[in-house]
Amino acid sequence: MNQETTEESNEESYILVWLTGIVFLVAMAAIFLFVPTEQTEGPVQRIMYIHIPSAWLSFFAFFIVFICSILFLWKKEREWDIYAHASAEIGVIFCSLVLITGPIWAKPIWGTWWVWDARLTSTLILWLIYVAYLMLRAQTEAGSMRARYAAVLGIVGFLNIPFIHFSVLWWRTFHPQPKVISSEGFGKGMETSMLVTLGISLCAFTLLYFLLMGQRIRQEKLKDEIDRLKREQLYSS
Amino acid sequence: MNLYLNQIAAIVWKDFVTELKTRELLSAMFIFALLVILIFIFSINLSIVKASEVGPGILWVAFLFAGTIGLNRSFMLEKENGCLMGLMLVPADRTAIYFGKLISNLIFLSIMELFILPLFMIFFNIDLLSHLGPLLVVVFLGTLGFCALGTLLSSLSSNLKTREIMLPILLYPLLIPIIIGAVRMTGQILDGTELFDMMKWIGLTASFDIIYIGVSIMTIDHILEE
Repeated sequence: MNQETTEESNEESYILVWLTGIVFLVAMAAIFLFVPTEQTEGPVQRIMYIHIPSAWLSFFAFFIVFICSILFLWKKEREWDIYAHASAEIGVIFCSLVLITGPIWAKPIWGTWWVWDARLTSTLILWLIYVAYLMLRAQTEAGSMRARYAAVLGIVGFLNIPFIHFSVLWWRTFHPQPKVISSEGFGKGMETSMLVTLGISLCAFTLLYFLLMGQRIRQEKLKDEIDRLKREQLYSS
Repeated sequence: MNLYLNQIAAIVWKDFVTELKTRELLSAMFIFALLVILIFIFSINLSIVKASEVGPGILWVAFLFAGTIGLNRSFMLEKENGCLMGLMLVPADRTAIYFGKLISNLIFLSIMELFILPLFMIFFNIDLLSHLGPLLVVVFLGTLGFCALGTLLSSLSSNLKTREIMLPILLYPLLIPIIIGAVRMTGQILDGTELFDMMKWIGLTASFDIIYIGVSIMTIDHILEE
């Protein structure tokens, strides 16, 4: 990596940092000041604007893991391995966030922290799959083997999602029906101001994903660079 | 094609001869499955709950745990004395190794299950004989799914330092759909439901089996690569 490209990517990441910060501030203002309180559920319903974007983000991140895993096995380039790793870490963090905000929302509304409902169950299983993925990465030493094994698990894990979905759905469910994309049409089940707030929040979280990805990828590449320099030092002396 | 089948058969035969010589795997799996069932019987009160409601779950947990032991053992044997390296040096397709191990795992597991089922019938006082046909279909579908994914992941985990711990951690979350399906179907069969009335579950488990055998064929080259 030469000096020029480093500076350029630094500048880009600064723009992204500011953009993410500003959109997050707007989202927070929308959540706490602009959007009206929900009639039946009260103020606790505002957690939805964190809960749904986190869920969307974790699914998106796991999808990126799947794509990057396929590309890695196909092209065998270290680049794709780094992307898959970074995306899996971010996905697990936001999946944890979903599993934490869910019970906080559920306790006053449903009266219990946890129910064995289809979507809660499948999110929990998904979390377990990708925690196992990260554990596999932590257990193996850096190199081609780790990248290949992780890529296989990234593919196998993502293909499991439809099976998990249907099996736990037929098992039992009482989650609220999807409101944003419902059978009546896009966004019919929700007030416009709520939809707008949710949209802004989604934008903020998506920007945050790309920001974290960029940072994590840069970090991993620097790690590679340090390893290379260390090895050079070792052999030259 | 003939050569390919011969290669698979040779690997299966090798596992059989080893098992006949050592007699380690089947007895260990059988006793372990029996112990799991016994522990469950002691930890639930069978006079309160209906045996046919908790039975299927306990049966599949026993199969799952005993099967994991079998899988761990199956690739450990290959790792010892560099046997896996020898297999990989054979001018055979890597998928032949996968299918060979898959079939031998499937056969060992099925034998263990055939021994466990009569004991299950006696302990839980459930009449299995009148539903034997559908029950065997369901047990086969579930076991095939377990072996399809289990063989792939145990070939992967056998190269890790902490293989005994990592295999269940990797495998169990991915197996949840097939466990739910198998337990549900077994329960419905014991209630007297026909196979045709649970087509959605059969479809789910069968497509799970097919998709994961397919994925394994496509990815086994990347795991058995040294």
